Amino acid sequence: MQTSRLSSSGMPGRRANRGRERLWLYLVISVSFLTLEAFGPGVPTQIRAYANDVVAPVLYLLERPLRAVQGGLERLAGASDIYAENIEIRGENERLKQWREAALQLGRENERLRQILKVPKREVPPAATARVIGVGGGTFERSVLVGAGSNDGVTRGFPVVDVNGLIGRVLHVGRWTSRVLLVTDLNSRVPVRVERTGALAIAEGQNEGFLRLKFLPRAAKVQVGDRILTSGHGGVFPPDIPVARVSEIASDFIYLEPLGILAKLDYVRIMAYEAVPEVGGLLPGEDPADG
Amino acid sequence: MADRGSVMVSSGAVGLVPLAVTLVLAILMLLPIGSGVANVTMPHLVMISCFYWLSSRPLLMPYGACAIAGFALDLWLDVPLGLNMVLLLLARLFVLTQLKHFKGRNRLVYWAVFSTMSLGLYIISWVIISIVDGMLWPAKPLALQWLVTAFSYAPVAFVLGRLRRWVF
Repeated sequence: MQTSRLSSSGMPGRRANRGRERLWLYLVISVSFLTLEAFGPGVPTQIRAYANDVVAPVLYLLERPLRAVQGGLERLAGASDIYAENIEIRGENERLKQWREAALQLGRENERLRQILKVPKREVPPAATARVIGVGGGTFERSVLVGAGSNDGVTRGFPVVDVNGLIGRVLHVGRWTSRVLLVTDLNSRVPVRVERTGALAIAEGQNEGFLRLKFLPRAAKVQVGDRILTSGHGGVFPPDIPVARVSEIASDFIYLEPLGILAKLDYVRIMAYEAVPEVGGLLPGEDPADG
Repeated sequence: MADRGSVMVSSGAVGLVPLAVTLVLAILMLLPIGSGVANVTMPHLVMISCFYWLSSRPLLMPYGACAIAGFALDLWLDVPLGLNMVLLLLARLFVLTQLKHFKGRNRLVYWAVFSTMSLGLYIISWVIISIVDGMLWPAKPLALQWLVTAFSYAPVAFVLGRLRRWVF
């Protein structure tokens, strides 16, 4: 009977057997990959970076109409509020002009004092400004793909910011693209300090929309609304970049809301800041004589 | 006898449509739709596509095609290499062994089967990623993505169905 030669899927038995052999072959390959990821060196990051380069042109192509549609929808949704928004923006513009003048004056004064005291400059120049062209990680990682790579001077570990604050740091660098690990990723740890009190801590990603503040000294006082800045410790991030704001103080944890607009990333700035390794437990620029 | 790989080839360019569509959907999964953290709420389009093609044209989606789609997705999503390969291979094994029970039934049955299968695959992926990373991963984001994927099956399968009728 013909049915006797068919497998459960309706395929001839011989073909099903070959299929099963191939299934085992591919399963062995994939489990080998996973074992390498777990216990070995894993797949070289450069291969992943180049894989992103391959797909980048398609993402560029698809991302533009998508942004246009999103922008159009947002404009449509916001059309009714334009008048009120215009008044608010005018007021804000006036306030910003005053702030700009004050900032320029302080900047000049700061520069003069630095020259007098021979303090080295702390400004970090941007390596590139890039557009977010893709996301990644599925459920397991919070990362984005940006359209700047080694051709633009981007190097692994460079911090990435948007207009409001820290976004993350560069994880893989291809020729034309880079993958940025977001501060909300479970593997992200950012050395921070509370702006108001100066207390040091670590902002830890949770793979959620918020961060958690850990290793804060017991005596340190924190309030909801406090700004959290990078401390510069560890040398991975430059100091004083806004990271988050304290959003909730629970009995066990302090929750932070990231200041970078992670929910709506468009353009980001990659800072040309090389990670400085700690030597002998001292932080860069720290003098043992200072105590 | 011709093997499965050659069915794809002997069908000409049309035979490559399922794999090509699955790869395009893998690229769509990378798009920053809605937000930079949209990856949580982005449905697993590749899993949906594989299930759809496996339940309608299994010979055009052989184990090799599943492995290639999984490999590409692992590289592009930057998740441990092999993770999606295993999931898609198991998806094919599941569909081929269970197809006789639901083939020809109405769409709601297909939807229910896909939801059950994807739940199992997400649990397996949670176990794998926890072993690979040596820590227990939070299950909430995974459960959320399973829900989104399960709910997205119907519209995505509808679009794939239109495409299938147009191409084949």
